[in-house]
Amino acid sequence: MEVCVHCDEVAVPPLYNEDDQSQQHPFCCQGCMTVYNVLHQKGLEAYYEIKNNSAVFKRRSPVELKSTQFKYLDDADFEKEFSYLDSTGYRTMEFYLEGIHCLACLWLIEKLPEFVSDVMISKLDLERSVATVVLKPEGKFSSAAKEFSQLGYRPHPLKRNQDVMDFKAKEERLALIRIGVAGAATGNIMIYAVSVYGGAAGQFAEIFNALTVILAFPVMLFSAWPFYQNAWHAIKNKTVSIDIPISIALVAGGLFGFTTLFTDVNENYLDSLTMLVFLLLMSRYFLQKIQEKGLSAQDLHYFYQSDSVLKATTEEATEFSEIHPKFIKSGDILKIRPGEFIPADGEIVSGLSYMNNSLLTGESEPVKVRVGEKVFSGTQNIDQDLVMKAEKVHDESRLGRLLKNVENGWAHRSRIVDLTNRISKHFTIAVFLMAGTLFLYHYMQGNVRHALEQAITLLIVTCPCALALATPLTFTRALSKASEQGIIIKSDEVIEKLAKIKNIFVDKTGTITFGKLKITHFKALKETHLPLVDIIYNLEKRSRHPVAVSLVEYVKSQAPKLVAVEDLKETIGQGVSGTINGHFYVINKSGVFEDDILVATYQVEDTVRNDSRPTLDKIVSKGRNIQILSGDRAEVVESIAQEINLPGNFAHSGLTPEEKSQKIKNTSHSMMVGDGANDAIALGDADVGVAVLGAMDISLRAADVYLTTPGLVPVEKLITLSEETMKVVYRNLGLSLTYNCISVALCFAGYISPLTAAIIMPLSSLSVLISTLIGTKELRSLWK
Amino acid sequence: MEIMAILLPLAILLGGVFVFAFVWSAKKGQYDDLETPRFRMLLDDKKITKPTTNLIKEEK
Repeated sequence: MEVCVHCDEVAVPPLYNEDDQSQQHPFCCQGCMTVYNVLHQKGLEAYYEIKNNSAVFKRRSPVELKSTQFKYLDDADFEKEFSYLDSTGYRTMEFYLEGIHCLACLWLIEKLPEFVSDVMISKLDLERSVATVVLKPEGKFSSAAKEFSQLGYRPHPLKRNQDVMDFKAKEERLALIRIGVAGAATGNIMIYAVSVYGGAAGQFAEIFNALTVILAFPVMLFSAWPFYQNAWHAIKNKTVSIDIPISIALVAGGLFGFTTLFTDVNENYLDSLTMLVFLLLMSRYFLQKIQEKGLSAQDLHYFYQSDSVLKATTEEATEFSEIHPKFIKSGDILKIRPGEFIPADGEIVSGLSYMNNSLLTGESEPVKVRVGEKVFSGTQNIDQDLVMKAEKVHDESRLGRLLKNVENGWAHRSRIVDLTNRISKHFTIAVFLMAGTLFLYHYMQGNVRHALEQAITLLIVTCPCALALATPLTFTRALSKASEQGIIIKSDEVIEKLAKIKNIFVDKTGTITFGKLKITHFKALKETHLPLVDIIYNLEKRSRHPVAVSLVEYVKSQAPKLVAVEDLKETIGQGVSGTINGHFYVINKSGVFEDDILVATYQVEDTVRNDSRPTLDKIVSKGRNIQILSGDRAEVVESIAQEINLPGNFAHSGLTPEEKSQKIKNTSHSMMVGDGANDAIALGDADVGVAVLGAMDISLRAADVYLTTPGLVPVEKLITLSEETMKVVYRNLGLSLTYNCISVALCFAGYISPLTAAIIMPLSSLSVLISTLIGTKELRSLWK
Repeated sequence: MEIMAILLPLAILLGGVFVFAFVWSAKKGQYDDLETPRFRMLLDDKKITKPTTNLIKEEK
C-alpha cells in the first residue's frame, strides 16, 4: 500500500510527479503533490525531515487546493477592521490556519519572512493554530495568505478586538502574579512558622512571628483580593458564594495575626491561611485555563465559514472579484463555486446545480435548483457554478434570524448556582452559630478576651478550604481528560447539569448515522470489458455529486487503475457518461451501463453507524430516554429507528427548527445532540446542547459541549463522565466537611492551636486532591 | 547566633529578588504561550536550502 509522502494518507491510486520515473514519492491527490513541489522549489524540504522526526499532533488530511487570491485582504475597509498595529507600529493580522498539525508546520510558518518579501515577522501559536503576521511597511496581507494557501493551509483572518484582548492578557498575567506572590510568601512563612512550632523561644520567637506577619501582608492584601471581591459581589447581589466564609476566615486570621505583634503570643494561623490562598488560586486558575481552551475553540470556528465570495464587478456579471462575506450588500450578484456555502438568501440568476440543504433543514438528499429559484444562506452548492442575486443579507437572512434566536436564548438562560456555593450558605450560617455558641459559653465563664479569641479561632479553622478546592479540582480534571478524548466542554457547570439529564434528543445525521451517503447493495450483473471498479473510478472521480463521491469511495478500496476517458460529460439529473477504449459508459441513478446495456446496479443510503445500537442500549440502561428529532422525511427516520430498535413514537420526523426547540422546551432535564443550523435553536434551549463534529459555527456557539468524534459513543462517555465526576465531587465535599467537623469539635474541646490547624488544614486539602486523582473505577476505565 | 542578623535580611532579600523577577517576566508576557516556544528552540538550526532543481514545473 502506497502512502502519500505529504500527508501520510493511503494513496489509491498513487500519483507521481512526471520526472519521478522510479516512483519514489507517491501522492494521494493533486493537492499534496502541488504542495510537495512548492516546498522543494522554495528550498523548504527540511519540512519533511522535521515532520518525519516528530510526533504528529493531529492527523493530517490531504490538501484541498483553493484558487483564492485573497484580494479582499488588501481592501482598505477590510484591513481597517481586521488588522491592528503591533507594539512597534507595524500592521499585523492574525490568521487561523486550517491544517496545522505538527512541528514541521511551526518551522514552515515561522520561516515565512525568509521567502515572502512582504512579511517581516510570522509567529505561530501551535495550540490554537493561530499565526500572527507582521507586515513590512509596503507589504500586503494577501501575499502572506496566498503563501499559506500554497503551502497547503487554509487561512482565515481573525478579527481581533484589541482592547478586549489586552484586557484579558493583563488579567491573566495579574492572576499569575497573584499566585506567584502567594507561593513565594507561603514558602518563606513556613520556614519561620516551623521554627516557632519547633521550639524557637524568646527573642527569636518574637522576630520569627513578626516576619510571618510581614510576609503575609502581600498575600492577604494582594493575592487574596479576588476572594474579597467575589464575596462583596455576592453580598451586594444577595447571592451565596463560597468566597464569603473564606473571606471571613482570612480577615479574622489576618487581624488575629496582626494582634500577635503586640502580645506575648508568638503563634498565628497565617502559615495555614496563606497556603490555602495559594492552593485555591491555583485550582481556580487551572479550571479557568481549561475552560478557555474550550471557549477559544468556539471563537475560532466562528470564522470557519468566512471564506471569500466572488462578487460581480460588471453589469453583465462577466467579471468577478473577491470580497469578504461581511461586505455583501443586498442586490449584489454573487458567483458560488461548487463546494462553497451560500453567503446570503437570494435568487438564482444563472446556472443549474444541486444544493445540500441538510445543515439548514435536515433533509439528507440533495435538491436541484435552477434559475429563478430561491437559495438560502448556510446551504452548500455541490455541483456546478451558480450565479445568484443576494436579497437578504447577514441578520435578515434565514440563517441570521436563526442565529439571533439562538443568542436570545442564551441571554435568557439562567446560570445555575453550583453545588459548592449552595452548600456555602448553610455552611456560613452554621459556622456563625457555632462561633456564637462558643463565645457565649466562654463569656458565661467570665473571660471576655478568651471568649473572643476562641470564637475567632473557630472562624479561622473552619475556613472551607477543602470545600472550595473540591469542585474546581474535580472539574479541571474532568474537563482536561474529556478534551483528551475529543469532548470539549465549555463550562464546568455543564457537568453538574449533565448528571441530571433524563431525556436525550438526537439529530439523525452524523450521530446515529454516518451523515454521508454510502453504497449499500452493489450488484454486478454482467461481465464488462473493463473491470467495473476502473469504469466507476475514472468516470466519477471528478464529480462532486454526493452519490458520485460515495461511488468513488466505494471502489477506492479495490485499487482501481487510472485509464483515459474520452468525452467525459456530466449532466445534471442524468449522471455521467464517457468513452473508454471505444465503449460508451453511462452511470446514473439506475446503475452502470456499458454500450446502453445495464451491467451493474447499486443502492445508496445514509447508513446507521455500527456502534449506534449497542451504545443506545447502554444509554437506555442508565435510565435515560432517547428520542430522534429530525427534519428529514418520515420513511427515512422510521427505517433508522427500526434499525436501532427505537419505538416508533420516539422518532419524530419532518420537524422545523422551531418545532424542535418547542419539543425541547416542553421537556425538563433535556439534552440535545445535533450538528446542523436547524438544530441550533434546540441546542440553545436544551439544558445541555451538544454539537458534533462538522457542525456549523452557529450550532457550535449554541452548544455547551463540542464532540470532535462523531457518533453516539462520545455521548455515552459524556454521560458516564458527568455521573462519575459528580460522585467524586460528593465524596470530596463529604471529606472536607468531615475535616471541618473535626476542627469544630477540637475547638469546643479547647485543643485547637495554630500547630493543630497547620496539620489539619493541609491534610484536608491533600485528601481531597488524592480523592480527585483516584477518581472512581468507571472514571479510571474511561481514561484508559 | 549573631549571624542571624545578617542571614535573615539576606534570605528575605533573596526571596524578594526572585519574586521581582517573576513579576517582571509575567508582565512581559513570557507565560502567555507555554506551548510553542519549547518546540521553537528545536528548530533553530533547520535552514532553508537553495532551490536545487528546476525540473519541477511552475504551478499556476
